[in-house]
Amino acid sequence: MLQGASAGLAAGGLYAVIAVCLTLMARLVRVVNFSQVAIGMFAAYLAVIFAEQHLPQWAATAAGVCVGAVVSGLIGWIIAQWLPEAGIGARSAVSVASLLLLVSLSFILFGSKPKTFKSLLPGPAFSMGNVVVTQVTVVMVALALAVAVGCHVLLTKSKIGTKLRALSERPTTAELLGVPAKGLSIAVWAGTGLISAAAVSIVAPTQTNDPISLSFIIVPASAAALLGGFRRLDLAVVGGLALGMLQGALAQFEQMSVLRYWVPFLIIVVFLLWAERKEVWDVAR
Amino acid sequence: MSELILDDVSVSRGSGPVVSGVSLVVKPGSLLTLVGPNGAGKTSLLESISGIVSTSKGNMSLDGVPLGKLSRIKRSRLGLVHVEQGRTVFPSLTVQENLELTAKSPTGVDEALELFPELQKRRSSASGLLSGGEQQMVVLARAFAARPKYLLIDEMSLGLAPVVFLRLLPIIRHIADSGVGILMVEQFAQLALKIADEAIVVTGGRVTYGGPAEPLMTDPALLHRAYLGMAEV
Ligand SMILES: Nc1ncnc2c1ncn2[C@@H]1O[C@H](COP(=O)(O)OP(=O)(O)O)[C@@H](O)[C@H]1O
Ligand SMILES: [Mg+2]
Repeated sequence: MLQGASAGLAAGGLYAVIAVCLTLMARLVRVVNFSQVAIGMFAAYLAVIFAEQHLPQWAATAAGVCVGAVVSGLIGWIIAQWLPEAGIGARSAVSVASLLLLVSLSFILFGSKPKTFKSLLPGPAFSMGNVVVTQVTVVMVALALAVAVGCHVLLTKSKIGTKLRALSERPTTAELLGVPAKGLSIAVWAGTGLISAAAVSIVAPTQTNDPISLSFIIVPASAAALLGGFRRLDLAVVGGLALGMLQGALAQFEQMSVLRYWVPFLIIVVFLLWAERKEVWDVAR
Repeated sequence: MSELILDDVSVSRGSGPVVSGVSLVVKPGSLLTLVGPNGAGKTSLLESISGIVSTSKGNMSLDGVPLGKLSRIKRSRLGLVHVEQGRTVFPSLTVQENLELTAKSPTGVDEALELFPELQKRRSSASGLLSGGEQQMVVLARAFAARPKYLLIDEMSLGLAPVVFLRLLPIIRHIADSGVGILMVEQFAQLALKIADEAIVVTGGRVTYGGPAEPLMTDPALLHRAYLGMAEV
């Protein structure tokens, strides 16, 4: 069971990184980005193609990640250009469209056969007792923590972070004061695109690898982001790691292994019910 | 030509025309007070100057530069600052951070805080936690720190105790005296007219009085007629 939890930790790290990106997107550019993982999936597939052109694996991965960032920035540009004043619903709908577009584009470009991803980080890092911890796990957990801490410091301690927070609280007022709303939101899109592409590229070799199942990692990641109310980075990280470990542990037991697909769903339902109750309580006060 | 000029400006919103053929001039260093009843189109007029809504007719220029279809950011770079209705602090940002957003130099925040010494000790408080009056001071200081050439102020008095509003008025006058052209909108005329050089009254989207502020203060009947749209312009 411990081995299962440890194995699930790599996926948990991915959920955590994506959950942090989703939280940043919701707070800073008012989008629930359903295409967050699909952008990473696209980058990981591109890396396979680049590697087939005899590029070294690290260069292929880096190139894929860069294209992922550009694609993400492009979606951000479209939203900033055409829907600057739209509500979060309409803006998020664009990200659903992007998700579908990226998945179908992947089938066209890369064919429908699952690709074999070459791992950049093969093998175990260390073992404790009889629990083996892989390099991918170590890197993913470290990446999740680094991204969350880095983004927190950027938001609270830098000039650009102050501008981003101002923009998220009062977009119109910020613009009237000369904060470049469009440029900054495209930068947020490109930055989160880069981070999620890197994370997916590291974990993809250890996960299911057809475009659709890879892209739908967005579901457990959203469940983790929901734990932090799409506002708190720390809870998003904790939620992502815990969810990954729980799923890993459940997968160890034959009878319960289907349950793990239900866990994110259960979390989402329970959270929504709880939020509903809390609102009722607030109104009653 | 260093003036902010509106020539025959009209604005339409979902509900139809809300500003019809308004012309006015704001000169550097002078304070123009715009008064009018609720729903007269005062806010819509300011929003068209700063680029929040677009005009349906007429021309605007700032120091000779046509505003036309310029974005809000470009207008702000020309030296236009719009203090919106309501107390528009960024609530989770501290007082210091609110001012840093617009400060043009490292000493800009300190210079802006000299206007309101009472804010000094609240520098590192989240501005959302301040009182209404203090928040309005932050908003004014933030506008001042941007070193505007022209300042649009919308209903500063809204929701403030009169004593607090009276504290803010001399500061607004002081900002004008430092060379900034100010267009100040107020629903409650008497106090706002006291510090004004000139005044216009807008009712139903049209200018019903334009000229010196003095007569409106000394002759309440004139103000009353202007509010009813009966004064001769
Ligand atoms: N966002 C909006 N959409 C549609 N109509 C609006 C909007 N804002 C204001 N209006 C209408 O425009 C008219 C003028 O409003 P406003 O400019 O806010 O006047 P004032 O600031 O003088 O009270 C009102 O009839 C109001 O109902
Ligand atoms: Mg108004």
